[in-house]
Amino acid sequence: MSAAGVPHLVIRRVSKRFGAATVLDRIDLTVARGELVTLLGPSGCGKTTLLRMVAGLDRPDAGAVELAGRDITRAPPHRRNVGVVFQSYALFPHLTVAGNVAFGLKSRGLPRARIEAAVERALSLVHLENFGKRRIVELSGGQQQRVALARAIAVEPDVLLFDEALSALDRKLREEMQIELRRLLRQIGATAIFVTHDQDEALTMSDRVAVMHRGRIEQVAEPRIVYARPASLFTLGFVGLSTRVSGLVVAAGEGRVEVDTEIGRLTAIGNFLVGSPVVVAARPEQLRPDSGGGGNSAAGRVRSTLFRGSSSLVEVEAGASTILLAQIPSDEGAPARPGEAIRLAWPVAETFAFPAPETGS
Amino acid sequence: MTEVVVPAPAPVGTVDRERLRGLAFLAPALLFLLIAFVTPLVLLLGVSVAGPRGLSLDAYAKLLGADYYLRVIWNSLRLALLTTIFALAIGYPGAFALARARGLLRSVLLSSLFLPLAASVIVKAFAWTILLRSDGIVNRILLATGLVAAPIRMIFTETALIVGSVNIFLPFMILPIYAVVTQLDPRLSEAAATLGAPPVAAFLRVTAPLTVPGVIAGVALVFSLSVSAYVVPTLLIGERYPTLASTIAKAYLLAREPVFGAAAGVVLLAIALTVVTLSGSLAGREAGR
Amino acid sequence: MSARIAIAAAWICALAAMVFLLSPLLVIAAASFSPTPVFDLPLGGASLRWYARIGALDGFWPALSLSLQIALLSTALSLVLGTLAAIALARGAVPGAQAIAAALVAPLMMPGLVLGIALLQYFRAIGFNATWSALLVAHVVVTLPYVARTMIAGMARFDFTLMEAARMLGCTYPQAVRRVMIPALAPSFLVASLFSFLASFDNYPVSIFLTDVRAKTLPIKMLQYIDEAPDPTLAALSTLILLATIVLLMASDRMFGLHRMAGTGD
Repeated sequence: MSAAGVPHLVIRRVSKRFGAATVLDRIDLTVARGELVTLLGPSGCGKTTLLRMVAGLDRPDAGAVELAGRDITRAPPHRRNVGVVFQSYALFPHLTVAGNVAFGLKSRGLPRARIEAAVERALSLVHLENFGKRRIVELSGGQQQRVALARAIAVEPDVLLFDEALSALDRKLREEMQIELRRLLRQIGATAIFVTHDQDEALTMSDRVAVMHRGRIEQVAEPRIVYARPASLFTLGFVGLSTRVSGLVVAAGEGRVEVDTEIGRLTAIGNFLVGSPVVVAARPEQLRPDSGGGGNSAAGRVRSTLFRGSSSLVEVEAGASTILLAQIPSDEGAPARPGEAIRLAWPVAETFAFPAPETGS
Repeated sequence: MTEVVVPAPAPVGTVDRERLRGLAFLAPALLFLLIAFVTPLVLLLGVSVAGPRGLSLDAYAKLLGADYYLRVIWNSLRLALLTTIFALAIGYPGAFALARARGLLRSVLLSSLFLPLAASVIVKAFAWTILLRSDGIVNRILLATGLVAAPIRMIFTETALIVGSVNIFLPFMILPIYAVVTQLDPRLSEAAATLGAPPVAAFLRVTAPLTVPGVIAGVALVFSLSVSAYVVPTLLIGERYPTLASTIAKAYLLAREPVFGAAAGVVLLAIALTVVTLSGSLAGREAGR
Repeated sequence: MSARIAIAAAWICALAAMVFLLSPLLVIAAASFSPTPVFDLPLGGASLRWYARIGALDGFWPALSLSLQIALLSTALSLVLGTLAAIALARGAVPGAQAIAAALVAPLMMPGLVLGIALLQYFRAIGFNATWSALLVAHVVVTLPYVARTMIAGMARFDFTLMEAARMLGCTYPQAVRRVMIPALAPSFLVASLFSFLASFDNYPVSIFLTDVRAKTLPIKMLQYIDEAPDPTLAALSTLILLATIVLLMASDRMFGLHRMAGTGD
């Protein structure tokens, strides 16, 4: 996996088993200095385990972790210079805000004046100036979050790890924090890895997203690409909405295939042998009422329309078991009503074919 | 003794009916304690200052003025101090090990904590008299391992007293500390590690300070129980080590000196109350941190 | 490295403490099987004769009966008083709840001896001469703090919206208590009962001042036996009591786990 910039954190063929279960399967990932990478996936995919490997809170069974040129695979956490922001914040209740933020600096044995200056700087970065003497129990959830952040960045770690750090906040606060956090991390030039199961958060905050599934990385790319050019059916399904229909390839050539499906013959981007079972997919914003412009098209009856402000999400029943999902901007006229017949069309260039999943997988 | 936790109040609107019901439910227990606990103690105070011609502090003068009785008070305090220190020294690390234990080992350790609590003090003290005899098990082991040349006289010495006392009261030190340790958030020591603290430093800077409420509770409980111990000194050391408790018992059961006994009782009560209030305010300060 | 030493030391402490705590109990159990009237360890053989003689101990049955009655009744009374108080405190509508809770639990740390003499004076002063009843009152004072402490902690964890749900589904308040609260709090009730019963059954310092020649509780009788004629019958009696307690503890552990009793509800 290549990335622009200096390779700063290298995860090399890291594997981990818990009992009989393989939690991480030969993971490779490189993060450049100053990059914000998100590990995105459903619970159980191994993302938190991988994060803990980087932090040193768990050891891999195989593979290596290098940070800033050093091999830290066997190093204990207190020697790694890695900052962690925990989901539950893990603030020390017996210390004040300043005491918490200063903790890592005290571990390094820095002189008092320097510690105080660093604490002040960290607190002002998170907009909690003058909170130094407060006790942890007096703080709101959002404030505790910032203290946890200030504590982690005060020691200027080589990499910052966020373990579902925003999931305890309510939605509005969460969205604000996402933006602010990204701005702050850019400002201090930090390298960071986020772990989340929330795809919106991943797409908002990251320079690159690593989609994980069952201990493997399915795809690592910019959010734009993960969304528009998903590398696998899993990624397609996990990130964003989509229309999916199964079929068999009847013709193939020049990077395109023609697929017979229950809603008709569709043309998609992909390389398959004739006769392969595939799933054909497209993103909802690509589907529009058919105006005769060519490309793929299918007809059906509207099942429901969800108005969402700037656009509407229209569900169309086409064929026995296929639902077409179209996202239609509101300025293109009133959306179709449930029960209406409708024909939708979408470009071939935005239609993709994936191998059909094995039965049972 | 664990701190009592009282949750936040019920939402407004239900308050009136709830408050009435609350007071009605509380009344029997509080009234009972008022009649059967507070009043007798107040009466005790009154008896202790009863003289032939009205109020008199003669009993206290005798108790706090005579060398003999000052030594008796010091005996009780000393017993409590030594018991508490040894119980803390063994019980603090023991509580941590107990919290880490799993499965069968944990069940066995917990049983060894609860079973003695269920046996009466009399039974246990009696057992120690058997154990510590000149031909008892302890001496036999010491002889067999060659640590001593001849049997040591242990029964009716201070050693026997302290050993027996620690034995009786050790569970009361371990349980409150254990209760606090099991509730510690494991993420806190992980956070400390990621912030550069090696394991020992993480323990001293993060874990240990958070166990202080449990330690306070354990120390208070063990101290107040051992300062007023009666059965243990009586069986294990007897007349050689008079305590406030034995003085009280003698005054009432033998010498028929209720006023003097009452005064001794008030002094013992004062010591216990001091321990309770001190520990309460220390714990309150901790909780407020 | 020093971390490992500290951890090893902690485990040694725990195991040493375990042996230390269990040794008197093992000694008593062993002595109860002694073939001779002298407490000789290790035993030359094993004999059950002392167990047979328990019933023949002077005044044993009345003492046992008295102790059981008092323990059971004082536990029952304390359960009622303590649970009601805990409910009141948990609902939080009472001012000064924290202080009241502390007051209910405070008698635990008071010297039992002092309570004993205080009650003795008090009952004499008000002319309350019924020994049995006086003993009962005293034992309720002794056991109530144990019950209060356990029930307050348990009640604090009880979700009262369950009661509201029950009432929406047709129960009156007492019915909701019976059908929802009591089953949910069963572990707390059992722990409270256990500690209360033991506190009363084994109590010496309060009882000694309130018993008379005719009415003695078992612990007082036992101390008398030790003074007068200590023989392994006493060890046999103690071992039986211990066995009964082991059964109780095993049942409690099976039902909700000893570690829960130790970590929280206590």
